Amino acid sequence: MTAAPDTAPRAARSLTLRNLHKTYTARGREPFAAVRGIDLAVEPGEMVALLGPSGCGKTTTLRMIAGLETVTSGEVLIGDRAVTDLPPGRRDVGVGFEGYALYPPLSVRENLAYGLRARRARDVGPRVAAIAERLEITDLLDLRPAGLSSGQKQRVALARALVRNPPVLLLDEPLSHLDAGQRQRVRRELKVLQREFGYTTIVVTHDQLEALSLADRMAVMDGGVIRQFGTPDEVFDDPADRFVADFVGEPSINLVGGTVADGGGAVRIGGAGTLPTASRARAGTRVQVGLRPQDCELVGRGSARPALSATVGVFEYLMEFGLATVDLAGQDPPEAGGGGPGRFVVQTPGGASLDPGAPVLIGARPEHVHLFDPGTGERLR
Amino acid sequence: MTATRRPGRRRFSPASAGADLLLVLWFAFSLFPILWMVLLSLKSRADQTSTYFVFTPTPDNFATVLSEEGVRLTGVDFTGALLTSLVTSLGAVLLSLAIGVPAAYAAGRWAYRGSGDIMFTILSFRFAPELMVIVPLFVIYNQLGLFDSDAGTIWVLQLVTLPLIVWILRSYFQDMPEELEQAALLDGYTRTRAFLMVALPLVRPGIAASALLAFVFAWNNYVFPLILTGGQNPTVTVAVTRFLGGGGQAFYNLTAAAALIAALPPLLVALSIQRYLVRGLSFGAVKS
Repeated sequence: MTAAPDTAPRAARSLTLRNLHKTYTARGREPFAAVRGIDLAVEPGEMVALLGPSGCGKTTTLRMIAGLETVTSGEVLIGDRAVTDLPPGRRDVGVGFEGYALYPPLSVRENLAYGLRARRARDVGPRVAAIAERLEITDLLDLRPAGLSSGQKQRVALARALVRNPPVLLLDEPLSHLDAGQRQRVRRELKVLQREFGYTTIVVTHDQLEALSLADRMAVMDGGVIRQFGTPDEVFDDPADRFVADFVGEPSINLVGGTVADGGGAVRIGGAGTLPTASRARAGTRVQVGLRPQDCELVGRGSARPALSATVGVFEYLMEFGLATVDLAGQDPPEAGGGGPGRFVVQTPGGASLDPGAPVLIGARPEHVHLFDPGTGERLR
Repeated sequence: MTATRRPGRRRFSPASAGADLLLVLWFAFSLFPILWMVLLSLKSRADQTSTYFVFTPTPDNFATVLSEEGVRLTGVDFTGALLTSLVTSLGAVLLSLAIGVPAAYAAGRWAYRGSGDIMFTILSFRFAPELMVIVPLFVIYNQLGLFDSDAGTIWVLQLVTLPLIVWILRSYFQDMPEELEQAALLDGYTRTRAFLMVALPLVRPGIAASALLAFVFAWNNYVFPLILTGGQNPTVTVAVTRFLGGGGQAFYNLTAAAALIAALPPLLVALSIQRYLVRGLSFGAVKS
């Protein structure tokens, strides 16, 4: 799962970041550390997503790889070649900018040829025609960027990045300017193209769905560091800390205060009951309990399984599944979250229906009940 | 209640009619000097001191001003002054473009040590009174031999044209997405080529507008040429006033004709760049 696809062509190169830092210093202002020590090893042909909220340093990291931002300290390697101090034009990376960066006075054809001309390529015409054919933009070649829809602009921008056939492709928020329908289609296309051409690809995004669907592995970033790097499954099922648990997943994870029960292996949540946990945190420790709505199981009355008793507040029926927002017994709803929103959400299987006011018992498998330090948010394993 | 109001159709109301009337009055008041100048320029020497609106108009004044006869009569070489103004204003604009375009690009793209101070200094040329620097400049010009020369006038007009061009173009460069140049850098272009081939063509409208605006301001400048050009090589703004007091005689009608001729080039330029004028005049306010 973590390995790159075997079909990666020889052109693909690995991309390595070693202890990468970026600190902005402006006169009269506190120095601002945007990126503080990023280590990342991307396999040849792999697609990695940098996921995080705005201001987490993901775009700065991308720009340092491209050479558009100077590196304060650390190293960038493409294959075995250190490119840290090379100008952008000599790094051989393709960038898909968020704003597309198509040159308005030139036609699409000229836009695509522009980069090849800089390198004095001989076969400019055929190469432009070939990439246009592959991305199905041949009809657009004689138009100006102003005449294109945002979906078409995105394709042209992608073609512009790909036409030089760079071993490393960097995409900054590639889908953010598209409407919902196009987003899904372009997402699929991106994935297919990336597989086919085998570029080592970094996608910067704040949208977890984009990261989950596109990436072989994703790096969740916050505060200029990578909080967790792994496959989407690893990140979803085994979050490194509370930030990752909270940031990834829709609807977001339930977080409530609790205490590790005597003897360990279970955690007591106020007057609502207990849940089993795989954590080996010491008995009596005050913790924050994280349980994903998808991992909640409704338990029948009279079952011997440890569970939380709750009352259904709101039930939303969404065809493939339902979402029940419940109030835990013995918890003041506004404080129940203990840092998260003051609610507990349970995802129910399709077909099931719950009435408001109905009592329910919520259970979970031990490996799905994550414990976090209430102060630092660290995962207690 | 008003049932339906079509857009673009205003209902009559005493308040709006009153406002319109005020506008018309203000318009008449502010344009009256120009009307008076037009009338004066059409009067003969006999009529020039009268304040009547009714007289026999004559186009002779315009011809006189531009001819040898005018020079003989008044001692003012107005055609020469027109040429001087053209040369110095154009020269000033071209010099400002050569310095100002790269300066505006640098100021729009990077914050470097002292960049804010440099930009403020350039801007301060616009609001510092000209009379503040004119005396030292007069001394310096005399010592350097720049007094009454086209080169000297072009140089001093930089105080007028350079701030306009730098500040207007900076906002154009700032409005242009940096990603366009960065894409060119990634393609292997150098910073200089990215500037010349990507950034510069995109701000062409800005260059045209700021250059024409700077031309108007340079053409209209009065104080610098008044002090720094002597008898031989005046600009039109200075030459126009000379008709008022040559050899003990005042030629009001000729003054008016000359002023109208001198006002033509800026007027034509202003009309041609009307669209950009607002942005140009509020330069610096667009982005700090």
